[in-house]
Amino acid sequence: MITFEGVTKRYPGGTVAVDHLDLTVPAGQTMVLVGPSGCGKTTTLRMINRMIEPSGGRILLDGQDIHQSNPSELRRGIGYVIQQGGLFPNRTIEDNIGTVPLLIGWKKSRARARARELMKLVGLDEQLARRYPYQLSGGQQQRVGVARALAADPPVLLMDEPFSAVDPIVRATLQDELIKLQADLHKTIVLVTHDVEEAIKVGDQVAIFRPHGQIAQVDSPERLLAAPADSYVENFLGFDRGIRRLSFLAASGLNLDDRTVVGEDTAAPVAAQTARDTGEDWALVVNAGHQPRGWASASDLDALPAGSAAGQARLEPYGHTFSVHSDSLRAALDATVLSPAGRAVGVDDNGEVVGTTTYERLRVAIHAAEEAEQRAAVDLAPEAAEP
Amino acid sequence: MMWSWIPSNAALIRQLTLESAYLGIVPALLGLVISVPLGIACARWKWFYPPVLSAASILYALPSLALFIVLIPYTGITDTTVIIPLTLFSLCVLVPNVVDGMRSVPEPVRQAATAMGFGALRRLVQVELPIAVPIVIAGLRVAVVSSISLASVGQLIGVSSLGYLFTDGFQRDFPTEIVVGGVLVIALALVCDLLLVLATRLLTPWRPRRSRRAARDLAIGQPAAVLSGGAG
Repeated sequence: MITFEGVTKRYPGGTVAVDHLDLTVPAGQTMVLVGPSGCGKTTTLRMINRMIEPSGGRILLDGQDIHQSNPSELRRGIGYVIQQGGLFPNRTIEDNIGTVPLLIGWKKSRARARARELMKLVGLDEQLARRYPYQLSGGQQQRVGVARALAADPPVLLMDEPFSAVDPIVRATLQDELIKLQADLHKTIVLVTHDVEEAIKVGDQVAIFRPHGQIAQVDSPERLLAAPADSYVENFLGFDRGIRRLSFLAASGLNLDDRTVVGEDTAAPVAAQTARDTGEDWALVVNAGHQPRGWASASDLDALPAGSAAGQARLEPYGHTFSVHSDSLRAALDATVLSPAGRAVGVDDNGEVVGTTTYERLRVAIHAAEEAEQRAAVDLAPEAAEP
Repeated sequence: MMWSWIPSNAALIRQLTLESAYLGIVPALLGLVISVPLGIACARWKWFYPPVLSAASILYALPSLALFIVLIPYTGITDTTVIIPLTLFSLCVLVPNVVDGMRSVPEPVRQAATAMGFGALRRLVQVELPIAVPIVIAGLRVAVVSSISLASVGQLIGVSSLGYLFTDGFQRDFPTEIVVGGVLVIALALVCDLLLVLATRLLTPWRPRRSRRAARDLAIGQPAAVLSGGAG
């Protein structure tokens, strides 16, 4: 656990980078510091490993004041990932990764074995071990940076804009992998970014900084999107926070409609009647395995020659499906908006149709999720008030 | 050209070449030994660099012959009398290159080293100096080549080198000897330069080929400037 107690950083000349900061980073969680440039987030990060010394207040690492530790020894116990990798150009990949183990006195062979282990962990081909940094792509270099920070298995990891120098697609992949890695490793991570999307994606907790080093709000991503503390936070989060919030609500809360689902062998008039009975113009045709084939309109079904089955009608594509078990309400809403029938298909883990959405059903589910969240917040409130 | 003169004086020519090599290489290496700590200090404390650079430039502007003569009362007609001025001249090239080399260490690399728990000395030896090597050697190449060429001037005060072939050839009005001397000085400089290029390749397998070419261009550009800038 990392605790900031009234920490201030004032530079000679009077600039205040961090102003009476109180912040707790719980052990095993990812805390993202986000804010505009010059807000003190990077200064805050670098005070944790004493790259920058505070002018006031104190920082505790697991209850110990870090000011009393030897800086070099403190740093060897804290992994550090810097923007653009910061790899040593004159060392091979394996020796870059083995840097801290070698510093703390491991034998070269053991450090190299550990390096190869970590290369596997971060998804790097072992053949790259003897290469030099310039021979790797930006994304690969960033993976080496993460592996190097993890080499001596430090409990704390500091990440300073770790993914800002790579292209958006690589960045998204690296973010996903960080989330996966953290699920296994449970490090105490402090990550600095200026990208609020990244903060919301990878953070367990997000601290939003105002200019001049004050914290506007610290909360879970869900709570930030649901209840921004003030207009600054609201503006910082961006205009579509209502939609983005739905990412944190599970699609399993949806009550799906399975009445308009018809097998491909169903007689066409029966299928048309099924659609009309529900007040809809469309029926979802599924195959024998209950997988979606497409939407058939009631009028097309009517136009088929006598004795036809629903599967012979002209079928509209069903678009994206969403997984009832693992996707969010955002995915369900997105699929609904994109579907030509104005309804999206929910499937189970085998790809079999569970039912379809309607806007009304989405509305009910969102409303219910909001109420549940508010109840949870009320339940949590007295707990949070305890010392 | 009297070609037969060459084989009949082979022993003399070999000895003079070795003397020239010695007078060229030793000052450059001594200059390196002085420049590395000096350059590190200049890169570390910015205020220190301008006065050091000015001093090195002033030294370089002094005529070599004048310095030799000033030193004779102290060191006599010896190699030392030539080596001291040439060492001082080499600082003018080597100190800026050490400083540039130290500055070529990318800031994220320096920060990453600190953040990983390198102390200042360890960071210097294991991270900063190795990264500075290509630029330092580029300076060394210029220093060696210019020392080899300036060493000939020592002949005027009687310190033996390939310069002997110039003075002797001039006095005897014997062009063959002068041409052989000139060719050998150039050849010696080229061989030393080539060895340093090879040393750079061996010491820095970590550099992309493109930047190797860039460093070579830099090194080629410098001697021209130095040699035309002053005869020493």
